[in-house]
Amino acid sequence: MSPGLDYVVIRSHAMMADLLTPEQMRALAEGESLEVFVEQLADTPYGEISIATDGDTSIALEKVFYQKFIERMMGIVDLAPTRVGDFLLSYYYLRFEVINLKRIIRGKYSSIPTPQILESVIPIIPYKVESYEEIMEGETFQDAVRRLEGTPYESLISSLELSEKYDALWPVEIALNYLSAREIFKSLERLPQSDRGLVRRIVQAEADVENFLVAAKQRSSRESAHSPEEMFPATFGIGLDILSEVMAADDLRTVIQGLNPPYNEILAPLYEGDVALIRSRLRQHVYDIARRGRAVNDFGFNVVMAYLVFSEIEKADLVGIAWGKTQGIAAEDILKYLAIPTIPEPSS
Amino acid sequence: MSATTGVRPTKGYLMEMKRRIGFIERGTEFLKLKRDHLAKELTASIDILKGRRGRLLEELRVAYRAVTAAYISLGPTEVQSQAKSIKSRLKLEVLPRSIMGVRYPYIKVEKEPQITGELDITLSEAAEKVMSVLDDILQLAEYEARAERIADELGKTNRKVNALENTIIPSYRGIIKFIQDKLDEESLEELVRMKLIGGALARRRG
Repeated sequence: MSPGLDYVVIRSHAMMADLLTPEQMRALAEGESLEVFVEQLADTPYGEISIATDGDTSIALEKVFYQKFIERMMGIVDLAPTRVGDFLLSYYYLRFEVINLKRIIRGKYSSIPTPQILESVIPIIPYKVESYEEIMEGETFQDAVRRLEGTPYESLISSLELSEKYDALWPVEIALNYLSAREIFKSLERLPQSDRGLVRRIVQAEADVENFLVAAKQRSSRESAHSPEEMFPATFGIGLDILSEVMAADDLRTVIQGLNPPYNEILAPLYEGDVALIRSRLRQHVYDIARRGRAVNDFGFNVVMAYLVFSEIEKADLVGIAWGKTQGIAAEDILKYLAIPTIPEPSS
Repeated sequence: MSATTGVRPTKGYLMEMKRRIGFIERGTEFLKLKRDHLAKELTASIDILKGRRGRLLEELRVAYRAVTAAYISLGPTEVQSQAKSIKSRLKLEVLPRSIMGVRYPYIKVEKEPQITGELDITLSEAAEKVMSVLDDILQLAEYEARAERIADELGKTNRKVNALENTIIPSYRGIIKFIQDKLDEESLEELVRMKLIGGALARRRG
């Protein structure tokens, strides 16, 4: 192990103390109002947060939580040895950039003014493209996609044909998901063999659940059914045969119950009638993967990855709480969809 | 000032008054028919509203819970970004409809949004729940506006009928009676006068 990595691992251990505990998270969700939430947050490592009075408060808070997460991530990247730092940059920045590109393309698709699209973009420095504004300058969404020529995203241009054929955005979004997964797996090669398993398990679990959800959604639009090969260029634990079965199924219960754990548990809300629970269960599963990975070796890359995974899930939960508080949603209705406060204790 | 002030006690005026009161009484009968019909419509609308409101509130609660879940699960920016990507938006047309001359809005859904294509499944489920309530919301809004306007018109019609029955018609009847009394009095005077003249002429001849 390089001395550089040792230092990052120790820093990660130390910075874990800054993460909010399930009890703190529950207390935040149970706060009476947005003001109480902000006050309680001031007593945590997030400190004082000033909220702009104009505009959407929950979106302003979402930006704050994203910035905090990016700060934490960059704090690790700056200290990490080059190969680990490069991987982490690629892993997180690529995912955020993919979200940003989706938002830009969606915005252009529905002719939203550029300043509004810009507001929806996650505040990161463009990673694999020159600038987001330049992409937004495209007249149409096709123009915006074509402006990605010469970047690692240029393969998206070929998805435009399918997009025009179906007059829909999903081919571009699926191509972006595939590209992102492929790039992450490619960047995994920068890590030693022993450190790749944790990231691979996380990416695969996320991709499997997302693929399943896309397939389940296709059931409602059978008249425009697309071939599974077109829709799922990359599959892992849930193969094309199962996804095809999902697209043709009248009742998903049998298909989901036939899946291996943890997918049968994560996806059960699909037939139980509360689809949003799937994402919180997926986050809990990812949290559990990171927790188990960390338990295997207290002095390896797993600790760094676990810290960032916990931190990202914390960000997602805080975004949910902030929105719930601005809307005056009851605490139990918020808590239901959070990952950290309801995460089961690790089984021995 | 008395209702008979300025009244000309002539036969022509009496006939004009009788023609007018006949017209007013027919009008009053029509207004009473309108009132009864409006009352029937109002009762029917209220019966429909009573059941629907409770049911709609429950359905709205379910839809709102789904929207809440989507927001907490995906985050507000992502929800808004996806929602804005729907090209085919809801298009409504508000047309006027009329019942017994009472105009109320009728809402026609011209185009429903295509929510299945571009949304995440969480958001798409929430949108479907909202869309399933939308028809009920529009119908309820239509019935509420209809009931409100019918009730308003019913009040006006009732006041008109009461005014006609209790004030206008009795005052016309009073005028007619006044003219008839005057004319009777005049014809009696005329008779007496004729008799007196006749008596005087007979005495002069005799």
